[in-house]
Amino acid sequence: MNLLTVSGSPHIHGDNSIKKIMYGVVFAMIPAILISIYFFGLDAVKVLLISVIACMFFEWAIQKFLIKGPLTINDGSALITGILLAFNVPGNLPVWIIIIGAFVSIGIAKMSFGGLGKNPFNPALVGRVFLLISFPVQMTSWPKPNPLFARKVLDAITGPTPLGNLKEELKGGRTVQDILEHGTKMIVDGKEVLYQIPDYAQELLGNMGGSLGEISAVALIIGAIYMLCRKIITWQIPVAYLGSVIVFTGILWLINPNIYINPLFHLVTGGLMLGVFFMATDMVSTPMSSKGQLIFGLGCGVITVIIRVWGAYPEGVSFAILIMNAFAPLINKGFKPKRFGETLKI
Amino acid sequence: MAKKESSFLNMVITLFVITGIASLALGGVYNLTKEPIRLAKLAKAEKAIKEVIPGFDRLEIFTVKPTNGTDSLIFNCGYINNELVGTAVESYSNKGYDPTQIKIMVGFTPDGNINNTAVIQQKETPGLGTKMTSPKFKDQFGGKNPKNFILKVKKDGGDVDAITAATISSRAFCGAIQRAYDAYEKENKQRVQNKEQQTQDVVTEEQEEK
Amino acid sequence: MNQWKNFSKGFIKDNPVFVLLLGLCPTLAVTSSAINGLGMGLATMFVLVCSNMVISLIKNLIPDKVRIPSFIVIIASFVTIVELIMEGFAPALFEALGIFIPLIVVNCIVLGRAEGFASKQSFISSLIDGLGMGLGFAFALTLLGAVREALGNGSIFGYKFIEGDAILVFILSPGAFIVLGYLIALLNRFKKTT
Repeated sequence: MNLLTVSGSPHIHGDNSIKKIMYGVVFAMIPAILISIYFFGLDAVKVLLISVIACMFFEWAIQKFLIKGPLTINDGSALITGILLAFNVPGNLPVWIIIIGAFVSIGIAKMSFGGLGKNPFNPALVGRVFLLISFPVQMTSWPKPNPLFARKVLDAITGPTPLGNLKEELKGGRTVQDILEHGTKMIVDGKEVLYQIPDYAQELLGNMGGSLGEISAVALIIGAIYMLCRKIITWQIPVAYLGSVIVFTGILWLINPNIYINPLFHLVTGGLMLGVFFMATDMVSTPMSSKGQLIFGLGCGVITVIIRVWGAYPEGVSFAILIMNAFAPLINKGFKPKRFGETLKI
Repeated sequence: MAKKESSFLNMVITLFVITGIASLALGGVYNLTKEPIRLAKLAKAEKAIKEVIPGFDRLEIFTVKPTNGTDSLIFNCGYINNELVGTAVESYSNKGYDPTQIKIMVGFTPDGNINNTAVIQQKETPGLGTKMTSPKFKDQFGGKNPKNFILKVKKDGGDVDAITAATISSRAFCGAIQRAYDAYEKENKQRVQNKEQQTQDVVTEEQEEK
Repeated sequence: MNQWKNFSKGFIKDNPVFVLLLGLCPTLAVTSSAINGLGMGLATMFVLVCSNMVISLIKNLIPDKVRIPSFIVIIASFVTIVELIMEGFAPALFEALGIFIPLIVVNCIVLGRAEGFASKQSFISSLIDGLGMGLGFAFALTLLGAVREALGNGSIFGYKFIEGDAILVFILSPGAFIVLGYLIALLNRFKKTT
């Protein structure tokens, strides 16, 4: 039976391939990589390199010795997983923990399901959440950013993330205004240190505690614009995700600005930008139709805010995306993409 | 043997007999295990007390209303030859990371020092808050007197080394000890007053006799 | 019936956990350490053997329409006996297993074997089936508990071989799913080659 009728030439050749898309994503991540090196120096280089090498090694080894199938190491997907994993961890993470994370990302989250295109969850996020639950101490000690060209002697090596600090102090009964204006007194190694949540400009630029890739909203947005122009990602998920976060936190903020901080703070802190543009838009683990993608983004946004405001963890982006990943097949069932050539019912 | 017919009478009789035998068997086992279960429960309650106050041969258990009007605390006073050797106070905190109450036992020696602490119940984040059961954290209170050892984490200007990355759990733990200490101090004052009163009574009685 | 086959099927071929995937709730919930898995496995085994024996003995005395309530009463009695004995003589284990001891009553394997096997077979066959299935269940839970304890706590049966913390996730609930999945995959591979 001839399923595919190929008509005569000329044909238009679509030049998209896995490889091209993957290296496009890598290219889009370069600004964020540079910013992370700028703020965390050699530590960032070390974590990035180890993560990438470990991910690519595990991909190669599993394909060669366990699956004994074709090697797809060159398609760049393991490279992306490696960079994203490094983006999701603090810069002072011990080497062996990074390697465990890479093994979980590639071995458990990707290869167990059959490799690229078959993984129901975003591999890098599975790795991160695995590490977060397994090594909570190491995964929640964040090195303080220290700009490369304006190095100064820091009074403390590690400091909290803005979201973490906010959540802890809110739990201690302080109001948002008090925390933002007066900062938090901490005693590190017997010395009293004042931690002040950075202002919005600093947060946009990336001068705050956090994981390697999430700190700079500006760098991530530059990469995102490039990917949108190249049509590597679509606009539906980011718009729905960001929109629902803004609306949800906005409503809470209007109800009581003393205990709920404003939407802008939620946008520029934590891993939101990284999650929205680089992980919620992963082609494999998200719905196919544009309506489905809107629902996916909406769900991610709502869950993120719920976890950030009421959950046990200060940050909820990775959990939100993983939870919605699990819903992707269901969403796909409900909102099938339009078949090519189908006539519109008017 | 043929299968019994599902008539009404048969069904009633079968169920009746089965439940009857089952209840008889259970009653027997209950009687057999009653004593071991009581002992096991007792041993469990005493284990935490033994952990925080040194060996005793008699326990006196009573409840004390704390100063700030919250739930009353259970005091377990241990005696050797009718001499007080330590008081184990069961205290709790609702300020942990998990909504589950953190319950701890704090042992005080008669001079008001903390002898030791033990965790009775907690459901904090595994690997973070759960470290409150580790000797490194809970043993730091041993031998300290809350009069000059501020029961707050160092971050808040106190003397307690917080558990790494689990400030909230550490704060809750300190709060629970503080609660126990406040109640203990209040109880102690009363005891001293009572004693003075008693001795005064004795003195006046003696004077009256003269 | 070949009694050896009847006994050994519970281990690999019809293993209640790895092949039949029955009784997964206690399997996933209590296997955070090898000793908990073993305790739960043995408790279930005791109930399984006893209920299988009793049910096969009185199978002809029970009218068909009330057989399920009768089975449940018998199983529940044995579970309560286990619970009382454990509370009295192994209080630490009793505390660790908690609610899952009384829940053996609703464990699918016990009622499944009663309904599917013991109510049709002879006393000896039922006894051996109960032993085999129970041992298979205990073996699976102990294995799962041992792997999780080794990875998550750095110890086996409480004997610590790594200082400090290991990979915590394995003694939490997600670890149960991950380890169970990989054990089933390994077993399938092993079964394919033999």
